[in-house]
Amino acid sequence: MIRFFLLQNRQGKTRLSKWYVPPPTGNAANASTTSNGLSPGSNPALYTTNNQTEAEKARIESEVHRLVTSRDKKYTNFIEYNNYKLIYRRYAGLFFTIAVDVQDNELSFLESIHLFVELLDSYFANVCELDIVFNFNKVYMILDEYMLAGEIEETSKKEILDRVKFLEKLD
Amino acid sequence: MSGMHLSKEFFELIKSIGESKSKQEEDRIILNEIAVLKKKLENDKPGSISTAIPGAPGGGVASSGNTLTTNKKKAREFLVRVLYVEMLGHDGSFGYIKAVELAASQSIVHKRTGYMVCACCLSPEHEFRFMLVNQMQRDLISSNLLESCGALIAVTSLITPDLVGTVSTQVIGLLDHNAETVRKKAIVALHRLYQLSPEAVPQNELIEKVRKMLCDRDPGVMGATLNVIESLARVNVAPFKDLVPSLISILKQICERRLPSEYDYHRIPAPWMQMKIVRILSVIGKNDVQASEGMYEILGDCLRKAEEAGINASNAIVYECIRCITLIYPNPVLLDAAGSSISRFLSSRSQNLRYLGVTGLASIVERHPKYAADHQLAVIECLEDKDDTLLRKTLDLLYRMTNPVNVEFITDRLLHFLRGSTDPYLKKDLTGKICTIAERYAPNNGWYVRTVTELFKIAGDLVDPAVATNLMSLVAEGTGNEDGDEEADMVLRKQAVELYVTLLASAPNRMNRVLVETLAWVLGEYGYLSSIMSLDAIIDGMCKLLQSGNTAKLGGGAPSTRRLILSAIMKMVSQYGSCPAAAAKVIDDYTKSSDPDAQKRCLEFQTLLTTAPHLLVEVFPVDASLEDVDVDENLSFLNGLVAEAVSNGARPYQKPEDDDDDDMYSGSLSAETANAFKMTPYEKPTQTYAQGRMAGMGSTNMGPGGAANTPLPPGGSPTHHATPNPVQAVNPAQPQLQLRNVANVWGKQAPLPPAPAAVSTPHVPAPASYGGVGGGFASPAPASYGGFGAPPTPAAAPVKTAEQLEKERLAAALFGGISATTQTPAAPPAHPIPVATPQMSTPMVSPPIPAATPVAAPVSAPAPAVTAPAPEMDLLDMGSWGADTGAMAVATPSTIDMLAPTPIAEAAAPAPPPPPAPPAQPEQTPAPASIDPFADAGLLDGITSAPLSSFGLSDAMGSAKFEYGGVAVAPLTITTPQFGERWGQCPSTHPVNVPSSSSASTLSKFMDICVRAGMHKVEEIAATNEGICACMAGGGTAVALVHGKISPFSGGQSRVDVTVKSTDPQLGGTLAMYLQNMIR
Repeated sequence: MIRFFLLQNRQGKTRLSKWYVPPPTGNAANASTTSNGLSPGSNPALYTTNNQTEAEKARIESEVHRLVTSRDKKYTNFIEYNNYKLIYRRYAGLFFTIAVDVQDNELSFLESIHLFVELLDSYFANVCELDIVFNFNKVYMILDEYMLAGEIEETSKKEILDRVKFLEKLD
Repeated sequence: MSGMHLSKEFFELIKSIGESKSKQEEDRIILNEIAVLKKKLENDKPGSISTAIPGAPGGGVASSGNTLTTNKKKAREFLVRVLYVEMLGHDGSFGYIKAVELAASQSIVHKRTGYMVCACCLSPEHEFRFMLVNQMQRDLISSNLLESCGALIAVTSLITPDLVGTVSTQVIGLLDHNAETVRKKAIVALHRLYQLSPEAVPQNELIEKVRKMLCDRDPGVMGATLNVIESLARVNVAPFKDLVPSLISILKQICERRLPSEYDYHRIPAPWMQMKIVRILSVIGKNDVQASEGMYEILGDCLRKAEEAGINASNAIVYECIRCITLIYPNPVLLDAAGSSISRFLSSRSQNLRYLGVTGLASIVERHPKYAADHQLAVIECLEDKDDTLLRKTLDLLYRMTNPVNVEFITDRLLHFLRGSTDPYLKKDLTGKICTIAERYAPNNGWYVRTVTELFKIAGDLVDPAVATNLMSLVAEGTGNEDGDEEADMVLRKQAVELYVTLLASAPNRMNRVLVETLAWVLGEYGYLSSIMSLDAIIDGMCKLLQSGNTAKLGGGAPSTRRLILSAIMKMVSQYGSCPAAAAKVIDDYTKSSDPDAQKRCLEFQTLLTTAPHLLVEVFPVDASLEDVDVDENLSFLNGLVAEAVSNGARPYQKPEDDDDDDMYSGSLSAETANAFKMTPYEKPTQTYAQGRMAGMGSTNMGPGGAANTPLPPGGSPTHHATPNPVQAVNPAQPQLQLRNVANVWGKQAPLPPAPAAVSTPHVPAPASYGGVGGGFASPAPASYGGFGAPPTPAAAPVKTAEQLEKERLAAALFGGISATTQTPAAPPAHPIPVATPQMSTPMVSPPIPAATPVAAPVSAPAPAVTAPAPEMDLLDMGSWGADTGAMAVATPSTIDMLAPTPIAEAAAPAPPPPPAPPAQPEQTPAPASIDPFADAGLLDGITSAPLSSFGLSDAMGSAKFEYGGVAVAPLTITTPQFGERWGQCPSTHPVNVPSSSSASTLSKFMDICVRAGMHKVEEIAATNEGICACMAGGGTAVALVHGKISPFSGGQSRVDVTVKSTDPQLGGTLAMYLQNMIR
């Protein structure tokens, strides 16, 4: 299951961040109690205030950025991070990172990232960082048609783009 | 396309952020933006938010027509800007209310934006979530499918466990929606709700819907459903077992490209769906032969098709297939296919594929070690890789392929990596792994002590405290044999003491709690054994340790550590015979300690020291941690005092009616025996309790837990006393028991029946309690262990062992033909039981014992194997495993021998008690074949016939010639002085101790064995019952020297101590193992 999906540029600016499992807050970050906290419901005790959740998200996002940007190009695209795995892929100055459970298939999610990039590319016709910066709300919408509740919901590019374009037309 | 629908204002903002040079500048811009946004909200006030929230859309009073309330487009941009602010790490909570408001908009696009911002920004417990429920409910049942979709997406991210009930009905209703896009989202959303609150969604209904939707006519719906099935099946596979045919048919259709081409990805048909189905199959096929057999064909097809494409997406499928193949009931053809895919990955230049290769290898190697053989070099390369991710996976692989032969090398590697690691998750994981393999495969006790101490040094704070307890009880108990292997135990203790003395001298301030406590206990008990530092110097060191600032901080300043050190000092003072000034001062200091326990101990000690120093030895008995503490529960030593008081007119003691205190005492003894004890009146204690010996001065041993019969080292936390008491180990969750059993295995002593003389008193009570517990466990044990089940065994062992044995038995029965090495891991756990047989049940030489011997013999074979190799050879010897497996015929009989010892025992039983080797011989010979990783086909060929053809002595002996590298060794003709000269030059030493042997009961028999093995008899010294032999291998490149000493005792049996020295550690190890097998 996907825990979060991040899109960051080389400088560490978050361009998109979608959390399917809220991050553990407080000192739970370095405790192992979160290992089975896949769904937020399984561990209500971890809920804290909005600020804490946001702060923890920001902390993890900056740590992820540090990790993915410091890695050699020749290295694997996978990082073991806390009790889950990061799968990342770099496109020009943008890093796409997916955090998944340890038993998930790394290569499959690496390709999931690529499929997402293909989606963006089709939608924006030759996507570049600026498209994403200025239309990040649309990017969220594409993502919502692609992934749902931490799972890949639809893998047909045509189907996803049709959906998004249909919504677009209503605007 | 960039910038569309954006106001100039926002465009400029993004632009200026993009151009900002520093974080400070960016922050300034954003703060400014926040001010602007707040102002917009402020201006909106006339419209009054309360009238604009859901239920009254567009109900603003605004006149300008340009406020956020009236102009939805502006409101939407406002929200997008809030989201942007949040993305850059600032607080945009002031605008959330607008998002809630917008979610109620008529326009689907605005509604979606509202929901989206809520989903991104609202933390799970944010109160605005409640405000959205009503809106979601309405949208879910909307006739506009876009609204339903929007609401479903919102449900997955906005509903919290307590809100599940409010929308579940509506979501279930949408499962039958006409539009596939709604059904697709509904099933995912329903699963999400189920995850959040399993009670609120009826499981049966969910499962039923899911099963139905798997067959949905729309592939997208089917694909989404697969996610749900996988997740549900991982929790409970039963309701999905019968889906195998459907899943296979779907997978088949996908592979045959019968799905719409829009699902193709890089010309691979629906790769994600393929992977999902394979994953589900692996969940269903696990431990299910029938289901597994049904999926072999399609897995093979799927794997083959994916192999052809050779791009990332297809490799992902290949990887998924590999994992599935290793998880389900194994199929040799598929395993081979998986093996060759793994090879391809490992040899790839892509780091990602190598990573998958290592992961795949790790998943296959546990049950099928032969596949590791081809990849030694690749694995070694990965170990040296700079990429941390790859390295970690490789370490995991090593952990999984650990066996008694390579354990030292692998542990070294893991320790090395642990030392350099800073990641707390990784450190914890590695620590656990090291503990596991050290306990499971330790070649000898000394190694175990060193390794665990090293682990304590590196990551003591992460180690399970039970490991320290194990270590201490191992040092105290040694091999656990009562039968006079005291010498080896002493060597172990001395090694441990010297290890800790060195530590004490070198790094007193860098030790963590568990290390300090272990050190204190070991030195306190056995400090007098040290030869590298005098006892008073150790006492000095301990005093310094006690006073160091570091120690004070350990365990958050817990007093227990300091108490332990104090106790150790006192014990050593008692051993030393006088109190060094430093110790006196420390103890005096602690009489003023704020810790009452420490204070009491010190005061008592001082009193003893000044008034009755001769009692010190009684109070701190040397090496008595295993002795039972005799507690006179009747306090009979007070009788005189009582009698005197009564005669002086005191009122006799009236027993109170409510007298159930005994429960507590017997409860700590054993739950099983407690009831029995209570039923009958107390009789005379079975043991005569020595008068008035206090094992410690502290109050701890008076506590209800300790007082029973636990031998207490004075002071310290109770856990440290626990293991010597066998009853404590009843809890199967405690790993300590396992160690206790394994500890027996490690001993260089083969676990054979003890000599009659060895029946020692301290442990006499043990069989009784074991018997009770062991008997209880024996009956549920599977029938195949019949041979093992009967003898009383330590309680937890059968639970663990039975489980493992069952697995191994299954695996071995299946793969007997594939891999002879499969049994290697099986052997150690199997061990304790045969060991227990002679030791516990009948501690005297009688007919049953010879019957048991053959059982123990083949199983004990791994013990010598363990001592063999040099570190750098460890991994590489996997190669010979591969060679082993070629000889399937050999593997099979040995498998049977190992795992079904009962018939063998029966077959051997009729043989008269004293006869030497013959009955045991045929069973023994195949054993090395299955276990010895060095053995070559040549050796195996020679042996194969033995168990199959006959029990004849000549056959067995005739083929007994020792071969190394497939070639028989040649006698090395040297003289005794030459022998002596070479003895010192040989770097590797391999001791073999057989406590009771009949095949080499006399020196000449022993020499015969050696000569038959192909060695040259150098000298036979009848006077001392010693003999020396020599041989060479590889045309003289490697030399092995053997020294044997026979110590006969009654019953035609002898204790045989052999030392093999060799220039080639592998040769030495193999020869030692060979000899151990021959000397029975």
